[in-house]
Amino acid sequence: MASQVSTADVLIVGGGLIGCASAWHLADHGLAIELVERGHINAGASGQNAGSLHFQIERRFLEQGEQAAREGAVIVLLSKLAIGDWATLEDRLGRPLDIAMHGGLMVAETEAELDLLAFKVGRENELGLSTVLLDAAELRAHSRCLSPALAGAAWLAEEGHANPRILTDAYAQAAKQRGAVLHTGTRVTRLTMEQDGTYRVQLVEAGKERTVLARKVLLAAGHWSTRLANMLGLNLPLYPAPLTMSVTDRADPMLPFLVQHVGQRLSMKQTDDGNLLIGGGWPSRLERGEDGLPDLDRPALVDSANLRANLEVAARVMPALRQRSLLRTWTGTTCVSADQLPIVGEISAAPGLFVAAGGSLFTLGPVLARLLAQTIATGTMAEEIALFSPARFAKLDAFAVLP
Amino acid sequence: MSRIERGVTRPEPITIVIDGETVPAFSGETVAVAILARDQLRFRDDRSGRARGMFCNMGTCGECTVWVGAEQGAWERLRACLVPVRPGLEVCRCPPEDER
Repeated sequence: MASQVSTADVLIVGGGLIGCASAWHLADHGLAIELVERGHINAGASGQNAGSLHFQIERRFLEQGEQAAREGAVIVLLSKLAIGDWATLEDRLGRPLDIAMHGGLMVAETEAELDLLAFKVGRENELGLSTVLLDAAELRAHSRCLSPALAGAAWLAEEGHANPRILTDAYAQAAKQRGAVLHTGTRVTRLTMEQDGTYRVQLVEAGKERTVLARKVLLAAGHWSTRLANMLGLNLPLYPAPLTMSVTDRADPMLPFLVQHVGQRLSMKQTDDGNLLIGGGWPSRLERGEDGLPDLDRPALVDSANLRANLEVAARVMPALRQRSLLRTWTGTTCVSADQLPIVGEISAAPGLFVAAGGSLFTLGPVLARLLAQTIATGTMAEEIALFSPARFAKLDAFAVLP
Repeated sequence: MSRIERGVTRPEPITIVIDGETVPAFSGETVAVAILARDQLRFRDDRSGRARGMFCNMGTCGECTVWVGAEQGAWERLRACLVPVRPGLEVCRCPPEDER
């Protein structure tokens, strides 16, 4: 029996931050947007992450070599755009989003780590990011809540945090107001390309099958994007990264900043309500399916040794944490790409098929969604995101068979 | 809510302190039981001041979180349904005055 067929200019798969933000931007370009989400809005990593706004460059971009330096420069440029986007987001979405940009510290515990920070600050300053190196005494004067044993820190005034539980919903509501159509509880069962290059997307919603025909499709489904690309016989080198987050009971305001660690996995911040959020990239464990392989459709399990290690690093950096109680620990699965940079843009082998996934997409989510929407709407890749283009993995699709 | 008496043999009661008041409890019970046995369904208040009470009784929901006296006069926020009573244990359903 023929199922119901409708059309959209752009069909977005995934109701996370990227999907909903892209829907909002694309609808502003006057396009007919349909977004489909298998679960509910913000159900995945977009709502489970730490909510850090981190703009200091990561350790891997400090490595010697031209490539690391070039990539670092692009990341800094994007970070500066992201700072501007975050600073105006509450106004543009017309809603409080618990955005706090009161600064961020990347701390060092050893002299070697402090040397690395000094090198990092030098490179960031060259690239126009106004990070400041604080020695132990300056850090002590700056942030009395942190351990006096720290060797120092790099400070960036624009860093901070936002609330991942409300941001995606704000984008989703704003997208609807602009006329985008969002369907939750809707699963993609088949994705094919027609002879004329149109994408045929078969969906199941509340047990009913239907089909959407769209000239353009955006895969914004986190690590599930790989499976969706697989439906077209395409390969995305994205690998699941199940992580761990924890929250303590409320405390008096003591930590207005984001805290990270240059040598350890750590992110720490205090919410408006006083709870301390602790993460930093400690792995959780994926459940196994009956076939013995990781089951990506079930929540990952907390690994108690990693949880302890995470909390220990946090308490070493901020000793007052030892007086707090842990309220809850949860897991969320983000993904990393083969070269650890996000994959954002049009897939070379499949014109009209776009992807945006690959981690760090909370901090960079708003700006990447904006630039990607511009790319999708105008057909010209925004220069700022060229580094993230899927074109760098085009060889993986050398044997793809499309109409 | 009262304890079942028929057919139950309990050890000698101990005493714990709930909101400054000394109350009896039995070894093996949780703090949640001791609170419920006083006919108190209110375990804590949410941030708008509305009453919250024990829901799952198995450590999952966190609704029964109370303040429990710890070492050196400190207080810990713990789930009442998971904390066994012990002699002299102090429990507060509102923020203790010497907290914060």
